[in-house]
This record gives sequence, structure tokens and C-alpha cells, in this order.
Amino acid sequence: MNLSKLKTVIVVFIAALWLACMYLGWQNDFIPAMCLGVALMLLHMILGAAKNGVISKKLLVYPFGLWALLWIVSFICSKYYSDLFAGVMPSFTILGFHPSFAFTIWFYWIGGMFTLSLGFHLYKDEWLSEKDWKDFVNQVQKEAK
Amino acid sequence: MSASTVSVIVFFSALMIVVSFVIGVWSSRKAKTAQAYFGGTAMFGPVAVGLSSMAGIASAFALVGVPGIIYATGNPMTFWMLSGAAFAMSYIILGKKVRAMAEIAPISSLGDICDVRFNNNRIIKALMSVIICLGCVGYLAAQIAAGSALIAHLLGWEPIVAGLVVFGLLTIYTAVSGEVGGLLTQAFQGFVMVIAGVFMIYAFFKVTGGFGNVMQAVGSIPEITGANGVTKKLGPDLLNAWGTFPGKISLTWMLIPILGCLGQPQVLVRMYALKDPRDLPKAGLVTAITHTIVGFLAVVVAYGALYLVATGKIPPLEKADMAIYAFADYVGIEAQLLVYAAVLAAAMSSASLFLTSSSTLLSKDLSSALGFNIPKEKQVSVSRIFMFVLGGASIVISIYSTQMVALLGTFGWGTLVSATFPVFVIGLLWERANEAGVMCGITASFVLNILSLTSFVWPGGLPAYFNISAISIAITVVVSLITPRQEISANLKRVIDL
Repeated sequence: MNLSKLKTVIVVFIAALWLACMYLGWQNDFIPAMCLGVALMLLHMILGAAKNGVISKKLLVYPFGLWALLWIVSFICSKYYSDLFAGVMPSFTILGFHPSFAFTIWFYWIGGMFTLSLGFHLYKDEWLSEKDWKDFVNQVQKEAK
Repeated sequence: MSASTVSVIVFFSALMIVVSFVIGVWSSRKAKTAQAYFGGTAMFGPVAVGLSSMAGIASAFALVGVPGIIYATGNPMTFWMLSGAAFAMSYIILGKKVRAMAEIAPISSLGDICDVRFNNNRIIKALMSVIICLGCVGYLAAQIAAGSALIAHLLGWEPIVAGLVVFGLLTIYTAVSGEVGGLLTQAFQGFVMVIAGVFMIYAFFKVTGGFGNVMQAVGSIPEITGANGVTKKLGPDLLNAWGTFPGKISLTWMLIPILGCLGQPQVLVRMYALKDPRDLPKAGLVTAITHTIVGFLAVVVAYGALYLVATGKIPPLEKADMAIYAFADYVGIEAQLLVYAAVLAAAMSSASLFLTSSSTLLSKDLSSALGFNIPKEKQVSVSRIFMFVLGGASIVISIYSTQMVALLGTFGWGTLVSATFPVFVIGLLWERANEAGVMCGITASFVLNILSLTSFVWPGGLPAYFNISAISIAITVVVSLITPRQEISANLKRVIDL
């Protein structure tokens, strides 16, 4: 997917998202703010991973898309279960954790960490292939001569 | 604690300090050039870089302060501590671009990158150096205060004596070997923290029987008062995702550490220390896995302490920061010696990183931004002098001026984010970012950070650094857009497009 002409728009979105997260934080609307925070991180990763303005669709789906989904589901479910069991002992636990916190552990932490770290490792060529790096170094060396 | 237990702990901690010293002095042979001394540029593989990045990030605060906060307020702090995804994210966003900068120019400090990207703009470089330096010195003082207090408590020494011995040795090996020794000793110290983490996670399950028992014990009683007269509030809500803080704190402790990891000097400088940029995914895996172990250590000791208090096995803690020690003391001598060594390792690894970063910023980046150009052949010697002076001054200040440590402590993680994002993140992701935009963004960051030290109260109840980061980034983007576009060199364009 070619983003060359969208780069400035994405950066403007990044600035707007920072301000939106700040404003929503002031209002304690933290779940929408956390979801926008995921969008903010996603846009940074898209800009960082794009090569000559082109982002790999593979990367976009996995790991980026899956990671974003895991985190958004995590925040929403954590809120749902904290409201459901507010002030009372939960009627069940998920592997021993309060159901609200279990989503932080399994989706936010373990899921998010392994999705991004492993996906990055598996698809590293989509981020920077050996040829990309060699071409870059050759061009820089040519320029130096 | 019995005398024999103290002796074993002290021996183990001393062994770790001696090994660090030997690694530091040995690696000075590799720090032959200014580039190697200041940046360890393109010299290391993914395991050393990954371990040292984790050790640089996981400071004494992570091992002592974080369990204390979780013990006191529940789980919001876990958003910060369980941030293993942050490293891969940082490398995806900036890794190849920062490393590529080292191919188009001799890069050995953050100021060098700033020079290449923004045409040697001295105002940007000076402001960036001052803000980052404030953050680094704040971190450094906090590590020295924590490490000295620990050793002083164990040996019954005066804190200043403990500080001079431990951090004096650290200053010597760091000054001798620069970033090369710093990186290798941090990797070793990171390894010590991982070993402690594995053992304490095992001990947690052995003592408590698992998280279900903790939930049952903590959730079934609203509070408990011990024989010491201290009351600890418990109850089921303490262990939900948000704990006792308003949700906006979870928002802050999720967004700023995860995305802000990218803006930490200990992560940025490691990106150009890697030999092959295609090893960054491997380094990301090493960092994520080791950080996961150390992060989980902080969570389980807090949960362990809560369990012991809720079941009446120990009285409620008078100070929440004692959670890690209380749990280790209950587990026994193996846990004690590993935990004390790990806390010391965390303090030393972060201290050496912030010592090299701040002395490089002062002696190399800020001095050149102010017009004092030190000849290349003298830069290393000048930096060594700065390191000795800064190391000595930090030891004395951190021991004798707790007020100053508290003040500097506010210039931590978030302040570094507000200084580095306009210059490095916006600057290296977007070629339209220009000097005017970044200058306005970084000036706003500087002024607002100083304003936050006064009695000024930000609206909305978010920590100041959240507001400052958002505002300085927005200003950088808006001003860059409304001021004329600046041409950049062909090589710089290649880096941004890579």
C-alpha cells in the first residue's frame, strides 16, 4: 500500500491523536483514549515500517492488525469485567486472575508482546530486507565518492 | 536478618560489583575511537544490545518502586511494567532509520543525529541536550540514592560511604571504558536480574500456590490491621485492571511507557550500537523476553507481599516500597541474595547508562551547541573528566539532598519523551519536519517542563509530562506545516525513506 502522498496526513493525525488522548484523559474517558492510543502507536509503526512510502500488507495484517485488535479487546473487556464485578468478589477467575486483570495479562502483555516481537522477527524482510540495506549502503557510498 | 545472612548477601553483591568492574576495565581496550567510546557505534550483536537495553530500562525503581505501587494501589502500574511489546515497537518505528544515520555520518551521540537532521541547528541541539540531561541526571541521582541506601542498610555504613564505594567504582569503570564498557556491564547486570526473576517467579508459586489463592485471600477481606498498628486496605477491586487510581492513570501508564520507550536515550543509543540493523528483530526478542521475566518479577513480589499480608503471615507494610524485601525475607536466603543483587544490578546498570549519556550530552553535544568546539582527539579525555565530576557530584547530591533528588526525579521518563519525540521521532519519520517546527516544539517542551516545577497546576489531573509531550509534538507538526519546506540532503532522504 503506497503511503507517499499520505505521510503528511498521517503525521497530522498523529498530532491530533496526541491532543485527543490528552483531552479524553482530562475527562477520564480513558477507554476511548486508550483505544485512540492504540491507533496512535499503529500510525507510528506504519510510518516507521514503510519502505519508500510503501507499507507491506502482510505487516499491516500481522503483526500490526492483530496486535491492535488484541489491545483494544483487552481494554474493553477489562472495563466490562471491572464494572460487572465492582465492589464484589468475581464469581470466576481466569487462570487465577480477576477477569478484568486477566485481559491485561493475556491480551495486553503476553499477546501483545509475542505478536509484535515474533511478527517483527518473522517478517523482518518486509521491514528491511538484506537487499534494501545493501542498496542503501551502496547509494550512500556512491554519493560519498 | 542474621549476621550470616547479611554476610552471604554482601558477598554475592560484592561479587557482582567486582565482575562488573572487571568487565568494564577489560572492555576499555575496545573503546579506541571517539565513536566507540561515546556510542559503541555498530560494534555489538543482538544479545548484548537486547540485554543491555532491558537493564537500562529496568532501573531500581522498576524493582523496588513498582512492586510498592502495585502493593499500595493495585494493577494500574502493570500497564507500565508489563510493557515487553514496547521494544519491538520502538525498533519497528525508528530502528533502521537511527542505525542508517550512522552510515551517512559519523554518529556517536544523540546530538550528532540532531546535527545531521537539522543542519547543525545549535538552538535545537542545546535545548534537547539540556532537557535530556535533566532527565538523565534525575535518573542517575535516583539510582545512586537507592543503591547506596541498600548497601548502607546491609552493612550499617553511612550512605555516603556506601555511595562512594559502589558508585565510585562504577564511575571509574564507566569513565575508562565509555559506552563500550557500559553496554557490556549492563548486559551482565541484566543477566543477574533475569536469574533473580526466574527464581522469584518460582518462589511466588511455591509460597502462594498461584494467582487464584492471592485473589481469594486479598479479595475476601476489605482490610487488615496488623500488630504493628498498620492497616492495609484490600478487597476485590484492588486486583481488577485499574486498581484504586482513576482510569486516566492507567491511560498514562500505558501510552507513555509503551510509545515513550522509543524516546528513551537507553533505547535510542542502542539502535546505532548494533552491528547489523537486520538483527534488530532478534534484539527485540531478547529484550522482550528478558523484560518479561524482570517485569513479572516486579508483579509477583507485589502479589506475594499482598498474599502474605492478607493471610496474616506478615504484618501490613509500613512502607509500600518494602514489598520486594518483605517477600524475599519471607522466602529465605536464596531469594534475599538474588533480590538484593538484582536491585543493585538494576541501580548500577541504569546509573552507568545515565552517567555516560549525561556526560556525553554535556561534554560533547551541549558544549558544541554553545560554540565550544573541543578537538576530536581531546573529546574522550574531556568526557572522562566530566564523568568523574558528574559521578562524584551526583553521589554527594543524591545522598545529602533528598529534596534535590525528588526534584530531579520528576524529570524522568516522560520528560525524556517530550524532548526526544519532536527531534527524533517526528524528525526521522517525516521529511517535512523543519528546523522552525522542531525549534518551537522543543522550546515549548523546555518552557513547560520548567513551568511544571513551579506551583503551576495542569488541568485535568494527568501527569505534566503527558500534556507536555502532546503539546510539543502538536506544535512541531503545526509549525512545520505553516513554515516553508526545507530541502534535505539526498542521503537524509534515503534514511527517512528506508
